[in-house]
Amino acid sequence: MGFLTDSLVSAVLLAISLDRELMEIVMVSLRVSASSTLIASILGIPLGIVVAFETFPGKRFVITILNTLLALPTVAIGLFVYALIARRGIFGPLDLLYSQKAIIIGQVILIIPVIITFTIAAINHIDDRYHKTAMTLGANRRQTALVIFREARYGIVAAVIAAFGRVVSEVGISMMLGGNARGFTRTITTAMALEYDKGEFVLAVALGIILISISFGLNLLFHLMQGRGKK
Amino acid sequence: MMIYSAANLVRRFGERTVLNVDRLEVEKGYIYALLGPNGSGKTTLLNIMGFLDQPTSGEMRFREREVNFQERTLHKLRQSVVMVQQNPILFSTSVYKNLEFGLKIRNIPVRLRQRVIEESLDLVGMRHLINDPAHKLSGGETQRVVLARALALSPEVILCDEPTASVDLENQVTITRLLKDINAEKGITLVFTSHDENQAASLPHFKLFLEQGRISDISYENTFPASITPLSDQQSCCRILNELELNIAREAEGLCRLKIEPCRIKLSRLFEEELPQNCVEGRVQKVSEDVRGINIGLDCGVSLTALISNAEYRELNLLVGDSVRIKIPPEAVSVLDYRN
Repeated sequence: MGFLTDSLVSAVLLAISLDRELMEIVMVSLRVSASSTLIASILGIPLGIVVAFETFPGKRFVITILNTLLALPTVAIGLFVYALIARRGIFGPLDLLYSQKAIIIGQVILIIPVIITFTIAAINHIDDRYHKTAMTLGANRRQTALVIFREARYGIVAAVIAAFGRVVSEVGISMMLGGNARGFTRTITTAMALEYDKGEFVLAVALGIILISISFGLNLLFHLMQGRGKK
Repeated sequence: MMIYSAANLVRRFGERTVLNVDRLEVEKGYIYALLGPNGSGKTTLLNIMGFLDQPTSGEMRFREREVNFQERTLHKLRQSVVMVQQNPILFSTSVYKNLEFGLKIRNIPVRLRQRVIEESLDLVGMRHLINDPAHKLSGGETQRVVLARALALSPEVILCDEPTASVDLENQVTITRLLKDINAEKGITLVFTSHDENQAASLPHFKLFLEQGRISDISYENTFPASITPLSDQQSCCRILNELELNIAREAEGLCRLKIEPCRIKLSRLFEEELPQNCVEGRVQKVSEDVRGINIGLDCGVSLTALISNAEYRELNLLVGDSVRIKIPPEAVSVLDYRN
């Protein structure tokens, strides 16, 4: 019990003191997660809007596949991307392995289905009367889609927040594609795993506190967004 | 000039035919009421007229040109026709932005937009709410702002689906007056649907009755399901909704749909003696005026409408809530059709 309390107190002090190494790890994590969320949002939101709006053969099948991809294990993605960017892979010459870019690629694959499916759900929840109203006021398909996007904005922002929460807390992709290089590809989760292996719990617990704080902050934001959307 | 004309207009949803209109003509600048019970195809027809849906088959002409129901063409046509839905919705932004939406799409300059928006809100008496968030408006206010949003676009036609169905009595009167003014001052053709023939009595220049998807010559006013049983060689008894029992001339036995002619119903205030045959006691629910006379909405177990002359009305001095004796002579009742 004394060990746990000592670790916790030391971790809190470390977090408050804004320790250089700790901050470096947090910044790498935030930078990589923000980049992958941004790229996945740029790709995923328009795709979600297209899938929600358009009728095409196999639409239900596409949605089923996207739903299946929500449960894709991070290690499976790590392995798949590794096979592509390793020296012997087809993108080997780009020298991406064990870089932040490699982590970002893996994380984008991880959260694109999250953003697409959440965007589809957010749009499908919008009252059909908005669609009809925009059309009768003279809007074309693109303008109507923009109206629906605007009405679904809180749901879509919630999708982005959920996606960020997913990547900031994943460990498999960051470990397999980033390599856990100190000051370069070491993220909160990979650093926690390493410190645990070393038996050094203070930094691991401090990082854990920060990760939990980030998750709590994101959830708070998520619920605020959902609340605004329901007004 | 005919703004709409249609022939053999059919709309099917799967196997079900919800609209089957042989012929329809709507003249520019007039108010048309599309009347019929729920499920008679009013909204489907309105959606087609608003270019929001396409018929399964048939021909429709708008401004005397055949309508090509392709999305690209429809988008252009929609800029001349605005539909106000039964439970209209405002975008979740300010009242101003709601009115600005259609003007922005039409590339109206910003300065002109401001003026048009203010004028349109003035017309419906909602200028004071210009900067309010739309989701904070009441049902009546929403309905009026939606009308202003339609008016701001200066359309040739405004289609209203049950414009007064979801608002209180005060707003019903205001909206009816507004629709009348819009038509009189701006010459906008108005087509509105209603399932309440009484409510729609004073507004339209023309009434179209829809029944089971077809335009019918018969008003559905005072039309009821009934069962007929023979009484003697000359007489039958008909039971209407198990509430009203009337003796009528001999008719075939069975379940049928019958109509009670509003102008043949007699009203009186005398209650002393026992009620004679074909007489029931009822309460006045509604009083409204139309070109034919005074419509009296009655509750006598079933909702009935009687049409009396202005002189009779003055003599009876009927007020809402008053009790009256309702006489329905056999000749006021006619069987429309039998059900298998």
